Amino acid sequence: MTDTPPPGPAEMEIRPPRRRVWQRISIIWLVPLVALAIAVGVAVKSYSSRGTLIRITFQNASGIEAGQTALRYRDVTIGAVESVGFAPDLGKVIVSVRVADDIAQYIDREAEFWVVRPEVSVRGISGLDTVLSGAYLAGNWDNIPTEEQSEFEGLEVPPLQSQNGTTITLELRDGNQISAGAPIIYKGIEVGNVGTPQLNEDGTTVLLDAVIRAPYDRMLTTNTRFWDASGFNISVGTGGLQLDVRSLASLIEGGIIFDTIVSGGEPIQPGQDFFVFEDESDARSSVFTSGSKLELPLSMVLDGSIEGLSEGAEVRYKGATIGRVTDLGTIAETDPETPSIRMLINLEIDVNKLGLSEMATVDEARDFVATLVRQDNLRARLATASLFTGSLMVELVEQPDADPATLDVDYQPFPMIPAAPAEITEFQTTAQGVINRIGGLPVEELMQAAIGALNSVQVLAGDPETRRVPSEAASLLADVRAVLTGDSVTGTLSNLNTTTDSLRRIAQQLEDGQAVANLVSAIQKANTTLTGVESASVEFPQIAQQLRQLAATANGLQIQQLADSADSLLQSADGLLSNPDTQRVPGAVSDALSEVARVLAEVREGGAIGNVNEAISAAEQAANSINLAAQDLPALADRASRILDQAGTTVSGYGSDSRFNVELVTALRSLQDAATAVTSLARSIQRNPNSLLLGR
Amino acid sequence: MSVNIPTAREAGLVACTRCGLVHERSTARCTRCDSRLQSRDTRSLQRVWAWWAAGLIAFIPANIYPMLLTSTLGSTTQSTILAGVVELWAHGDPPIAIIVFLASIVIPVGKFLAIGFLAAAAHRRRFMSLHAQHRLFEVVEFVGRWSMIDVFVVAILASLVQFNLVATVNPGIAAICFALSVAFTMQAALAFDPRIIWDD
Repeated sequence: MTDTPPPGPAEMEIRPPRRRVWQRISIIWLVPLVALAIAVGVAVKSYSSRGTLIRITFQNASGIEAGQTALRYRDVTIGAVESVGFAPDLGKVIVSVRVADDIAQYIDREAEFWVVRPEVSVRGISGLDTVLSGAYLAGNWDNIPTEEQSEFEGLEVPPLQSQNGTTITLELRDGNQISAGAPIIYKGIEVGNVGTPQLNEDGTTVLLDAVIRAPYDRMLTTNTRFWDASGFNISVGTGGLQLDVRSLASLIEGGIIFDTIVSGGEPIQPGQDFFVFEDESDARSSVFTSGSKLELPLSMVLDGSIEGLSEGAEVRYKGATIGRVTDLGTIAETDPETPSIRMLINLEIDVNKLGLSEMATVDEARDFVATLVRQDNLRARLATASLFTGSLMVELVEQPDADPATLDVDYQPFPMIPAAPAEITEFQTTAQGVINRIGGLPVEELMQAAIGALNSVQVLAGDPETRRVPSEAASLLADVRAVLTGDSVTGTLSNLNTTTDSLRRIAQQLEDGQAVANLVSAIQKANTTLTGVESASVEFPQIAQQLRQLAATANGLQIQQLADSADSLLQSADGLLSNPDTQRVPGAVSDALSEVARVLAEVREGGAIGNVNEAISAAEQAANSINLAAQDLPALADRASRILDQAGTTVSGYGSDSRFNVELVTALRSLQDAATAVTSLARSIQRNPNSLLLGR
Repeated sequence: MSVNIPTAREAGLVACTRCGLVHERSTARCTRCDSRLQSRDTRSLQRVWAWWAAGLIAFIPANIYPMLLTSTLGSTTQSTILAGVVELWAHGDPPIAIIVFLASIVIPVGKFLAIGFLAAAAHRRRFMSLHAQHRLFEVVEFVGRWSMIDVFVVAILASLVQFNLVATVNPGIAAICFALSVAFTMQAALAFDPRIIWDD
């Protein structure tokens, strides 16, 4: 068509007016522009408000899902998990969390994160809301914005909620009865919880973070003591059997009780360390020692059996518990000549219980013990802890007699304290000992002494001589009575008076212990009597002569020959008495003579000590009778007086230095001593009857 | 295919796009329906490109942001379109996954490509014959109304599944974006004047 141009004039080229660029642009372009603006705006806004990304590492991501798991702070959602990934070595899970910017500034170095999951424990169910919603991340940090941080180490177990309370650190010797979340009990009320037990750096104790909730944390002072209330406690005491279970939870999870035992402690700072004692009595007894436990380890080596000794057995010093046995073992002595196995006991001594200052170190305590060992001969030995169970303990004793020894500081595993022989008291041994002690009492001697004393008394009492004394006294009295009732007496009261005086005098003399004088005077009287008889009885001039001769002879006799002289005198007297003529002498004189005869006979028989009494009484009786007779017979008395003078001369010839006299005196003294002894014995027995049993 | 097809413009005629009545080229308005007569819409391509761009802008957040917010027993699940497809496939519903994938990903993307291609390649037959281009435009225009299937699903679910704690479905921001995107692309398709395909 174009190759055939149309006829007519050439068409005028008509061009539409050239419009400007903006006029040619459709208004529709506003739509994508607006859309773009909105999109960009939304994008910018969402980018700017997407929050800060933090990365938390966990051991595992159980329950954590990217895009779903929320991060909560005080139960308000402040972010969400964006992704869950692995660390480069797959060793950990890295959870990336978007946190709102306004909160992120608070998340600093102290921030801690953990996963909240539903948990069922003996104390109840926690995190129940997470059963439906799933686990969530929880975080905790302080309210002071400091340096932001984006890399965190997540906690595998929820930390203690310390927002309303005081955090403290508890130190235990043994953590096997405590589990995380175990209650802390104050006066029976649960006032806090413990965290997860962890070992301290050197592995010697177990550390527990614990929170005491407000307002109970005000009860804590530096004098507060904690002790373990795990499980239950059975004690047998005077009150019988006591079973103490604090709570079901503490039975299963363990628990810790605290109390402020003495007032006056300082308020504590958060994070204060406390030692957890093993039981309440330990805790209470520790008030005056510091709570920190410094232990001095020692070893001791024994040859004998350690049966009955167990780990944990007490170490005592003078009755106070200062430590315990940590372990028991054996060591081989590989000496080729005397190979042996010895028993090794390791001890732990509580440094504070040694009374050292709180600042004392273990080394100082060791040096102190070494000094005691060296200077005071401190030794360790096994001793009986319980008589009934036969269990043993270790006792530190000072044995001054022990051989010198030192603390072997270089001994392995611990410094070795020298051992002393065990003092093990078994029950049977103890009973035997009691019996032995009873058996060792001087019962035999006591009995012997008592028997001897009784025998002596018996012999004394059973001695006819002894018995005769009263009878003699009785006969003396009878004689006196006979004299008094005699016809001769009744007539003359004055005679009676005289007689009584004489008797009293004699008795007084006897009482005054002047037996010798009495005897002498009795003999004199006898002589006088004899003389009087001789003079009175003209029929016996020869006897008088003999007597006189005898007296003269005796006067000239040697002292040693006194017995012979006395014998002949007695024989003469005997002869005189046995003379029928004598019978005619009045009865009183006759009696006197017979008494004298008896005296003489007994003197002749050897003058036994026991008979002296008789002799005295007999002589006395004779004297009385003679006295009476003399008064009845004044003339006879005169003559007797004369004879008496002679006899007195005779006897005085014996003198105070005569052997006879001396022997008599000695005999009387012996008798007197014996009587005194008996009397004092009797008095002693009366005063202290025990002395008979005790033998002294 | 025959190459030389005469056009109304070449014949000095102009057809009403609404009622189809053919007029002289100089006629300004349709004598029958009084709509404006234009031999060629000079701003068609501008409008196409504008709507196309707006649709594309809306399509991006529609795929980034979650389409559905599903809360089941306290746990909220946010799923984007693609994640939903993957999830459906993983849970053993490949047919539904395919349907959703076609309706939500393939078709919109195809529409963008098709419209863009048509707008860029108008009256060129380097890649496609003019007839094929025209047929493509018809397909795009037809499919456009079915592109809202995703939005319908979300709307129905959100209105039906409201059981408080047990299960709740809420539309996400992507649903709105997707709806906008579909609307913009439909506008783009409508703005395209298919007559320019045939111009040399």
